[in-house]
Amino acid sequence: MKGKYHIIVQNSRVKFEFDIKRNITIVRGDSATGKTTLVSLIDTYDRLGADSGVEVSCSKRCLTVNNSNWESILNSVSECIVFIDEENTIIKSDDFARKIKDTNNYYVIITRENLPNLPYSVEEIYGIHTSGKYADMRRTYNSFYQLYSVDEQRMADKAETVIVEDSNSGYDFFKAVAADDINCISAGGKTKIKRTVMDNEGKNLLVIADGAAFGSEMGELYLYMQKHPEVSLYLPESFEWLILKSGLIDGNRIADILEHTEDFIESSEYFSWERFYTKLLISETEGTYLQYSKQKLNDVYLDPNEKEAILNVAEVIKKYVG
Amino acid sequence: MLKIVFGDIENSIYHPPTYFDNTYKDEWITDPRSVEMIKDIDKSDVIGSRVIDSPVLGSISVKELSGGVKTLLLMLFDDSGKIFNASACGDNCAKWIYEISKHKDLTIALHHIMDFSSCEDFSAYIINTDKQVGSYKEYLDEAFRIEER
Repeated sequence: MKGKYHIIVQNSRVKFEFDIKRNITIVRGDSATGKTTLVSLIDTYDRLGADSGVEVSCSKRCLTVNNSNWESILNSVSECIVFIDEENTIIKSDDFARKIKDTNNYYVIITRENLPNLPYSVEEIYGIHTSGKYADMRRTYNSFYQLYSVDEQRMADKAETVIVEDSNSGYDFFKAVAADDINCISAGGKTKIKRTVMDNEGKNLLVIADGAAFGSEMGELYLYMQKHPEVSLYLPESFEWLILKSGLIDGNRIADILEHTEDFIESSEYFSWERFYTKLLISETEGTYLQYSKQKLNDVYLDPNEKEAILNVAEVIKKYVG
Repeated sequence: MLKIVFGDIENSIYHPPTYFDNTYKDEWITDPRSVEMIKDIDKSDVIGSRVIDSPVLGSISVKELSGGVKTLLLMLFDDSGKIFNASACGDNCAKWIYEISKHKDLTIALHHIMDFSSCEDFSAYIINTDKQVGSYKEYLDEAFRIEER
């Protein structure tokens, strides 16, 4: 399933309006913001249609699954938007992760759990807020808002240490561009970043990770940062996205893909967007002087013009580690 | 005293709102502490033990209270010895969890790190590591070191 979908769910008392554009969206936040009400309205409409009195506007079918029916339903539907409320423990299971990886549905999951087995984007973690009431003062209007920023610049000074999620080309690049007095560490994967940050407590830290799949780590790291203002965070979609964004490769066409990536990614082929960007960069540079390999950085990306083009995308890198 | 266990534990209820729907007692709802919590979290007024006035949903039943409030009411009144999953509560419930624990020994399960920064003089006992934490920062540092969720 590709594309971005505008969804309106409403009855006489409440209206929800939001967009979904990736295969996994997480909704969390304070109690009493309407999360369960939203799922309940969708479930009611899917069972009873217009007879329910609920209105759902979306070009794809919206439905719910639960602990007991998820497998059979997912075997029988495609091109749907599937909502799962927080009572369902299946979302934590590897079976569930394996199952949805190969389906061409989008999933909206209500949970405060991290779900490390699911590669969801920091940008697709939302809360629900009430924006106001309609003129008749009877119906409240609710929309989604992003809970986290991908660019948390808190430090006043230069970084002393840069922690990079990547251990391959991305790490090679950031290590090469960092000033001599800045220590650049590879965390060796997103799940090890938290521990690496704690091991470097007290230092000015810049954490660089792939935002496209960093969602499971974000909640806890964000809490840590509230008590540790010496930690800043930069979460581009991925290192490959930075290169694609730099304009080094076929500017207009690639820019168009990056502008609305959701229209180019088939969700059943790419569990998260950073895998798409890697494949795109490899295919676009194959046989050229910019030929990209994820395992080892092509030195050409460290030539002055190429390096500058990439750093122009990531001003935060210049600010903290240049 | 607040006792926290991260991850799964025996005798715990993963989804307290459902447990609440099938076990609550009418008199819980009109208790002044419940009335205050329902007003604070759900912005709703208790009309009687079976009727709540919600500014969003209108006149609602007790079963339409938020999952967070239902979990708080279980923590306050349930005497079955069950341990309730506080990850069913948003951070806006944290101060109430802490308030309840000032008046009784309260053990909660967490499947994420709850933000207790709104609680003054926060302290808790972390069951996983058998450690007492004397501040919110100590709690965070301890929670980060625990793998279980």
